[in-house]
Amino acid sequence: MLALWTWIVQALFIFLIVDSVGGGLLKPCGHIVPESPVVAPNTTFTAICVLDEECLSEHHLNANQILWKIKDTYVPKEQYTILNKTAASVTLEDVSSLGSPLTCNILLYGQLEQNIYGIQIRVGWAPEKPKNLSCIVNGQSNMKCQWDPGKETHLDTTYVLKSEWPTRQLTDCIPPPNVNNSCTVDMVVVYVNMDVWVVATNVLGNVSSDRINFDPIDIVQLLPPYNVTVSSSKAISSILKVSWTNPVDKPFEGLKYNIRYRTKDASDWTLIPPEDTASTRDSFTVQYLKPFTEYVFSIRCMNREGRGFWSNWSAESSGVTYEAKPSNAPSFWYSIDPSQGHGYRLLHLKWKTLPRSEANGRILHYEVILRGGKTSNFSKSINDTKLILNITNDPYVVSLKAHNIVGSSDPSTLTIPGRDFKAAHPITNLKAFPKDNELWVQWTPPNEPVNKYILEWCVFSDNLPCTPDWQQEGSATKLTYLRGNLMESKCYLITVIPVYDDGPGSPRSVKAYLKQAPPSRGPFVRTKKVGKNEAVLVWEHLPVDDQNGFIRNYTIFYRTSSGNETAVHVNSSHTEYTLSPLTSDTLYMVRMAAYTDEGGKDGPEFTFTTPKFAQGEIEAIVVPVCLAFLLTTLLGVLLCFNKLDLIKKHIWPNVPDPSKSHIAQWSPHTPTRHNLHPKDQMYPEGNFTDTDVSVVEIEANEKKPLPEDLKSLDLFKKEKITTEGHSSGIGGSSCMSSSRPSISSNDESESGQNTSSTVQYSTVVHSGYRHQLPSVQVFSRSESTQPLLDSEERPEDLQIVENGGSGDGASPRQQYFKQNCNQDEISPDLSHFERSKQVSSANEEDFVRLKQQQMSDQRSQSSGSGPMKDFEDVSAADNFGSSTEGQIQRFETIGLEAATEEGMPKSYLPQTVRQGGYVPQ
Amino acid sequence: MDLRAGDSWGMLACLCTVLWHLPAVPALNRTGDPGPGPSIQKTYDLTRYLEHQLRSLAGTYLNYLGPPFNEPDFNPPRLSAEALPSATVDFNVWRSLNDHLRLAQNYQAYSHLLCYLRGLDRHAATAELRRSLAHFCTSLQGLLGSIAGVMAALGYPLPPQGAEPSWAPRPPHSDFLQKMDDFWLLKELQTWLWRSAKDFNRLKKKMQPSAAAVTLRLEAAASDL
Repeated sequence: MLALWTWIVQALFIFLIVDSVGGGLLKPCGHIVPESPVVAPNTTFTAICVLDEECLSEHHLNANQILWKIKDTYVPKEQYTILNKTAASVTLEDVSSLGSPLTCNILLYGQLEQNIYGIQIRVGWAPEKPKNLSCIVNGQSNMKCQWDPGKETHLDTTYVLKSEWPTRQLTDCIPPPNVNNSCTVDMVVVYVNMDVWVVATNVLGNVSSDRINFDPIDIVQLLPPYNVTVSSSKAISSILKVSWTNPVDKPFEGLKYNIRYRTKDASDWTLIPPEDTASTRDSFTVQYLKPFTEYVFSIRCMNREGRGFWSNWSAESSGVTYEAKPSNAPSFWYSIDPSQGHGYRLLHLKWKTLPRSEANGRILHYEVILRGGKTSNFSKSINDTKLILNITNDPYVVSLKAHNIVGSSDPSTLTIPGRDFKAAHPITNLKAFPKDNELWVQWTPPNEPVNKYILEWCVFSDNLPCTPDWQQEGSATKLTYLRGNLMESKCYLITVIPVYDDGPGSPRSVKAYLKQAPPSRGPFVRTKKVGKNEAVLVWEHLPVDDQNGFIRNYTIFYRTSSGNETAVHVNSSHTEYTLSPLTSDTLYMVRMAAYTDEGGKDGPEFTFTTPKFAQGEIEAIVVPVCLAFLLTTLLGVLLCFNKLDLIKKHIWPNVPDPSKSHIAQWSPHTPTRHNLHPKDQMYPEGNFTDTDVSVVEIEANEKKPLPEDLKSLDLFKKEKITTEGHSSGIGGSSCMSSSRPSISSNDESESGQNTSSTVQYSTVVHSGYRHQLPSVQVFSRSESTQPLLDSEERPEDLQIVENGGSGDGASPRQQYFKQNCNQDEISPDLSHFERSKQVSSANEEDFVRLKQQQMSDQRSQSSGSGPMKDFEDVSAADNFGSSTEGQIQRFETIGLEAATEEGMPKSYLPQTVRQGGYVPQ
Repeated sequence: MDLRAGDSWGMLACLCTVLWHLPAVPALNRTGDPGPGPSIQKTYDLTRYLEHQLRSLAGTYLNYLGPPFNEPDFNPPRLSAEALPSATVDFNVWRSLNDHLRLAQNYQAYSHLLCYLRGLDRHAATAELRRSLAHFCTSLQGLLGSIAGVMAALGYPLPPQGAEPSWAPRPPHSDFLQKMDDFWLLKELQTWLWRSAKDFNRLKKKMQPSAAAVTLRLEAAASDL
């Protein structure tokens, strides 16, 4: 048992010991053939485990006890082959996928597994045929060959570059370690053809590339020329001399070159024509270069005969051409500040520094020469690019030269016209437009020859002053772009001024944008007037700084709080727009967007409400209604006034007052009157006349001095007698009588009388004192139904004739009569008086009788009532002619006659002066 | 198979294509064996190159030897250099030789010179000089091969070449005499290369009389000599 254990331990260590010590101490119990196999993928591999005879006999082992394992995995027994008692083989299909190690094990005593031997299987590929073999000779003897080794073999593979001459084999070139695709041969001989190929070798085989045959001279690539230097010439500013050193290590003498150059800032090279550099040399002079410009040079070379390859370009070397005098005059312009008084003005001269290409050197100073005015020649040397001079109003000529170390430029001359110069001849068709991120200006030149054009431009802004930048263009220019740092979305005001021999022409301006943008803000829209169905919107143009472009149009968006939005496009020139139709009494929200070419921007929203009624609509309703009402009222009132009598009569029927009846007063015998006028009854019939007369006297005294009255009465009486005028010697006349004709009296009196006047009038005529008394022509219509006296009938006719002859109607006479009654008889009217005299003269007795009646009237009246009232009363009494009063009147007349004989003159006076009263009939 | 119009057109196109490409077929383009001309030209070019190479090597080496050998006027008497193949053969005698003999003479001379040249290597102190010498030797080896190639092309047998010329240790010289040998060796090389260039130029002209352009070019090159 101990022995067995020892064996096991021994067996366990077999492999390790053999492996590490090399089998010096202990002998393994078997081994695997092949010992260290290298297997290509996808190939079948067979290994044989051969057991040691001694072990077999010692441990009673047999080959059929062998177990194969790869790592820890058993190989299926189907792959085993028992060759004989001591050897068994295993066949593996694809070792690359199985791995290592492969071990040969044996099963001791049917259960104990014992490792006998193990091998490592290496998997790799045979080398591929190297491809694309190419060689190049650097310099004189070094030849570097390269090839493509192909797929990785995963095995140690050696590559050898082999070469041979036709007569002999040359030394192999072995690449340095870890290099499998190139090798450098250091002793190559040109002009001898050689074969070159590559042989790749590893344990799985070797392979040779295709052979290439060449003369190394045909694959030479020299090192580039070196020590390249560039030198300039003071005498000629347009040349540079390039010098270099040719490569030494070369298998031939003849070289040709490529020389290229560029300005320092440029990126494109210019190649000197190769035919100029086709021979071996070490310097070359390049001509036609710009003065004062830095040029960079680079050279390469190759075999003059064209065999081989161009070398790499040499390191760059640069040089600067010498200065030349400025090739152009500077851009030159001026501005005038006329604010200087006393015949002086400030001349601001300004000019541009010459670009480097035109300056041809460093500009040392500028020379300004001023001619004209009082100072015949003024010259100044200045370093700055502006100069301010105080000049008179005379015309001047200014010239400017730029100086560098070599010389001066041609003069740039400007004519400064006199103060009273009028610019003319402007350019036409000025346009400005952006293109390729530049702002281009185009114009049509004037007909007159132009020396040059000046373009001025500035940012057109409300906030910033216009600080113009400028540039000068030649006389042939019609299209140019602004050379300056222009900003986007800024309005530029571009002015083009043609410059003539005698001074600048009229400027022309145009506005333009380098790139437009939507406006910064939208316009503030508001309502100017809101109507029922329309609203007048107003807005102001956006300020230039907010426009960011040309405002092409406006769009007005308006909507009700619930409705859809409506957009209206408005021309950009407008600042007012009438929205219609709108719904009345509705809230509208309106906003406005301004659009440039690049887009638009909305302004703030404005809200307004349309009214329910249009302006003036209420007024249109109310005013006519009021007017109509007023008119109706007025008409009503007028009608009322017009028909006052009717109304009055209708409402208050005219009830005669019996108490005022004269008849009643006069005829106390009439028992009917007593009832109506109880007052009258107080008067006894017998003293009625006396009382009456006395009353008249008192009243007459009040009005007029009695003596005069008496005299006049006398006179009047005499005149009446003498003239025998046709007085209307009616028994009663009334001063105030209604125009209503008394038809009854007409019927009663004479029906054969004139029909035109059915009214019987009596004229009361009296003369004033010594003809100074106003003629009082009193016509009183007799309302008495009492038949007129015989003597009174004729004057009646006369009066009618008179009325017709005078041409006056009856009513004016009545009116006059009224007037006379109403007024004092102050204004004399002789004509009337005379007429009345004529009328009344014939009826003196009638007249006297009338007076008596009047006096009786006065007596019957109260003291307050005037004589006219008495007349009225009389007439009123007359008017009762148709009734029974006619008899009363007759009685009255009789009574009067009696009274007249006694005191008629007395009773007459008061009648003339008394104010008329009105007695309602 | 019936031939339709389309097929006949296709065949015509195919024929045209073949005819078009005929000049490009190398077998047809080849006018025959190029002959010895190119190899003579190459040999000539190599000779010129060796001359050029020797100039720089000689300059370097003579400088290495020091004065008086590097002085331009140095013209020592030829002593103890009999073993070197002398190029100072009479011009008329040389002209009287035929091409074969001249080529054989050249071949032999360069074989000997190469043998001696390898001896120089021992004295060369600097690596750069050794390298230049080694390259020159290789080039000279190439010239030998070229001459052999020309002779083969012209159908001449190579001269009997005994043992490969090798450096035979000579009796000990003084250092100066050793340098003198080296000087003469370089001098002989220059002379031989110059003569060989002329020989190959003449031979080349003889071989390619028709190629006027090439001739002109070569004459121009010869006038440089």
